[in-house]
Amino acid sequence: MTRVREFRHGGVAVDHRVPYRPASIENAFLPMNAIVVLKDAKVSIEPLPVVSVGQEVREGQLLARSTGKGSANVHSPIPGIVRRIETVTTPGGYQSRVIVISLAGSFSMLGKRSERYLWKSLNKADIAHIIQEKGIVCVSSGRPLHDVMTEHVDHPGSIMVISALEMDPYRRTEEALMEQRTEDVVDGWAIAARVALPSRVIVALDEGVSPEVLQKLTSIMAASELEASIELFRRRFPQDMRGQIANALGMEQTGQLFVLEPSTLVALHDAVVSNKPHIEQYVYVGGGAIKHPGILKARIGAPIGDLIEECGGFLGQPARLVIGGPFRGRLAADLDVSVTRSTRAVLALTAAETRSAPERACVRCGDCVVACPEGLDPFLLLKLLRAGRRDDAVAIGLERCSSCGACAYVCRSRIPLAHIFDTAREGGQVK
Amino acid sequence: MIDARSQAGLWPPYIHGWKTSGKASWICVMTLLPIVAWSSALYGRQALEVWISALVASIVAESIASALLRKWTLGDGSAVITGLLIASAMPPGIPWYIPAVASFFAILIVKAAFGGLGSNWMNPALGGIAFAYANWPAAMREFVLPRIISGVDGVSASTPLAFARGLTGGLDGRVMDALRGAGYPLSGVDTAITRFLNDILFSRLGARLPDGYFDMLLGFKPGAIGESALFLVLIGSIVLIAMRLIKVEIPLAMLATFGLLARIFGTGLPGENLFAGDVLYALSGGGIVLAAFYMSTDPVSSPVGRTRGLAYGAATGALCFVFRRWGTYTESVVYAILLMNMITPLMERAGTMPRRSNGKAGSV
Repeated sequence: MTRVREFRHGGVAVDHRVPYRPASIENAFLPMNAIVVLKDAKVSIEPLPVVSVGQEVREGQLLARSTGKGSANVHSPIPGIVRRIETVTTPGGYQSRVIVISLAGSFSMLGKRSERYLWKSLNKADIAHIIQEKGIVCVSSGRPLHDVMTEHVDHPGSIMVISALEMDPYRRTEEALMEQRTEDVVDGWAIAARVALPSRVIVALDEGVSPEVLQKLTSIMAASELEASIELFRRRFPQDMRGQIANALGMEQTGQLFVLEPSTLVALHDAVVSNKPHIEQYVYVGGGAIKHPGILKARIGAPIGDLIEECGGFLGQPARLVIGGPFRGRLAADLDVSVTRSTRAVLALTAAETRSAPERACVRCGDCVVACPEGLDPFLLLKLLRAGRRDDAVAIGLERCSSCGACAYVCRSRIPLAHIFDTAREGGQVK
Repeated sequence: MIDARSQAGLWPPYIHGWKTSGKASWICVMTLLPIVAWSSALYGRQALEVWISALVASIVAESIASALLRKWTLGDGSAVITGLLIASAMPPGIPWYIPAVASFFAILIVKAAFGGLGSNWMNPALGGIAFAYANWPAAMREFVLPRIISGVDGVSASTPLAFARGLTGGLDGRVMDALRGAGYPLSGVDTAITRFLNDILFSRLGARLPDGYFDMLLGFKPGAIGESALFLVLIGSIVLIAMRLIKVEIPLAMLATFGLLARIFGTGLPGENLFAGDVLYALSGGGIVLAAFYMSTDPVSSPVGRTRGLAYGAATGALCFVFRRWGTYTESVVYAILLMNMITPLMERAGTMPRRSNGKAGSV
């Protein structure tokens, strides 16, 4: 266990100095108006709304029902009245319907002691049913957890990875959950394992994990009679992606890996043990332009402006307002963008952090080749795509690009390589 | 809000490394400035004029190119580097128009005509230098002694490399001793440092350091103004490598290959034994170190990728040696790198592009 795992080639060891205060997790205020986005990921399918405008809804009441594979149930994060149902463009660049609820009425969950079911009597089908019913979404991908799980159920030799590896140098949510809700994370893992029946479990932790957390984790694991190997990973991005985790563990294929992060496990735990639908989300609010960076437990639908205000507001003028991580996130159009079940972070970045510069011609410095964790030649892909030779680009591995953003992070000419490759893979025209 | 729709940085990632091509160029310029200062101290106005005319000409040329291409590119620093590198290969006291015309040729013809930075298929500075050699062969090979040796400006002399070529007779032993024996000038500084080192260090090891190496290192010998400060070139190179701004595998492979071949086949002096060439002497003349770290590493005209870089560097070093050992002129490194620039696309095609069904590799 003293050995530190690391993916073999590529990646960036970020030189951004992010001050880390082991922040406690705060409960965010309830939003006056919750804007509930029905579609959490571009690849998901929109669930069908089951409420109508003007209807009064309770906290946790079903708002939209899953249409099957690819969509997840959506519940009301607050008690109130449905004001509007409309279509918006999300930061992810896709259209989705939203249900706007304004706060009214009394709470059924808030302030009450949460229920505790003895989940151990539940069988596999019961748990799978709860996951579907409560609309649990994989926090990292925005896909319904039920879908992700079915892909791995009864898969011989499947390995479950409980990954507390962060996606960027800012966010510390997974680490904080691992530290502060260790029991719930381990319970969530036990629940997930009951459904997925993995052949073995690996806990992936950052190399800088404190001995206290490790000790707490091992003692809880022992108490729950769970077995897993704990592996430490060197901090280098994109460390949290499935391919890189597999690579670091010395595996050839990624297919057998089933990666779950503490934030998803906590949502799963709350659904099964406390009968709570997925209406809460741990959002990291940070970046150099935020006065007091921290982790907020927010209701979905809460506008990010509220969260930023709760973190003391802006410190100077932010250059970029980003939803999700700085490597793969998206720009927020304004402060009314709302929290979804896959909003992991809200970052207000200063110009000193973005180090943005006008795009210049590629000077072939070769830094992108060194940074690419998939072993591709990004500069060559760019050249081929800009010459309109998509087939040749595919032949040298365009489809293997995981859009991790490492090449564009190091690009001296500030060419948005990852975005260009995304566009090309989706069949778009490359400028 | 918050300039979210401005052009740059619209797409992820929203954080970047500190390097930009502009910053890299300007740091490179900074590492060249001490060389400008040192050579100006050695040769006075004769060196300063060359630096200034090349620099002014390259900035003017880049501005013209910017105006023609409607793209303001002076800020990327590459024109300033080109100007400095062209000047570095010129002998002190050369007429001012030669570096100026070479800079114009480099920037307008070699770079801008092929589409500007990133599209040029050969290193602009080397193109300009080769242009100067082709047009003013005599002026480019007319060197003078630094003031520290001659005491006055403008005493013409030949470089150690050129002088050694003229040596005849079966001399045995070392190149440096042969040079001294033939009456090649030596500075007092070199004598002092060499004697000191011999006394405290080499004599105890039973060895002796011949006079003359410190003149080579400090530039107390006739030569191009850029190679006059070999020790500053080395310091600058260390800075560039430490900041990871250049493809380090290229110069290392190049110098290693060149040194090895020089050891095996000698430096071209009569009476030299096989496997007894003077590597230090070979490396410290002809501006090869400057060319290796500052010219062969030009990202645009060298191949990307570690293996290819090693092959490219080794081939450049070998060519450079062949040209210098058996060729006519001592500026072999210029032609060696230019030749390799032309082969770069071929090297990149090999092993990268998938084979087409007809068995031919696709072009890049």
